[in-house]
Amino acid sequence: MATQTQTITYEASLDVLEPIRKLLTQIGQEVELSKKKTYGLCLAVDEIATNVIRHGYEEAGITDGVFDLIIKKNDNQLVVTIVDAGTPFNPLEHNLPTEQDLSIPLEERPIGGLGVMIARQSVDEFKYEFSNNKNRNIFIVRYDQTDY
Amino acid sequence: MSFTVSSEIINNVAILTLVGSLDSSSASVFQAEIQKVAGESPVEMVLKVSELTFMASAGLRMIIFAKQKLGPSVQIYLVKPQDQIIDTLQMTGFIHSVHIVDKYPV
Repeated sequence: MATQTQTITYEASLDVLEPIRKLLTQIGQEVELSKKKTYGLCLAVDEIATNVIRHGYEEAGITDGVFDLIIKKNDNQLVVTIVDAGTPFNPLEHNLPTEQDLSIPLEERPIGGLGVMIARQSVDEFKYEFSNNKNRNIFIVRYDQTDY
Repeated sequence: MSFTVSSEIINNVAILTLVGSLDSSSASVFQAEIQKVAGESPVEMVLKVSELTFMASAGLRMIIFAKQKLGPSVQIYLVKPQDQIIDTLQMTGFIHSVHIVDKYPV
């Protein structure tokens, strides 16, 4: 399969989360990705897209923000990139909750901080780049025939 | 799939049925339902989630909210979560703070 790329532009609104999940689920089926990996990709993209919409745009007072979703399919992997022009934020510099944080009783836990951790752990590879004043959050899932 | 939640209180137990996708756009609906049942001071909270197909961290935050609202002594049961949701509970350590069960009463 030659590399196929599609780019879709979404408004920075939480209403787009569901259509994005639907699209990624459909693409996951097309490339015969396992249910587990498809779900992981949807979850990771959902978490980062939420951060972009909430923190990158809304909190910065930008009301007409948009972001691009670039989907690249090739022979052995699916690469999804969220490109946004909101507040720069590198999830890889975000401190992940420690084992100790995760064992704190729920009623004593701070609310927040879980999304980035979930995003990073739900795909095979997660990368972040900042170029041309844009955040690029990159999610990679490999087609793994044994992972069913 | 959009998200719906319904609730009932039976013998001081709050039973909430969650269906569809729980993300940051639908979490406020769940939060309002938690607030509603919290007013009845339930002794346990049961979340029927067999038809919950997706749950992002926004859903986890609502479980924290419920625990904080209801108090540490109120146990939370998740009835029949789907495998992927169990994975998320595992990854985040939530699995140690809620009870995963096949049916309620256990």
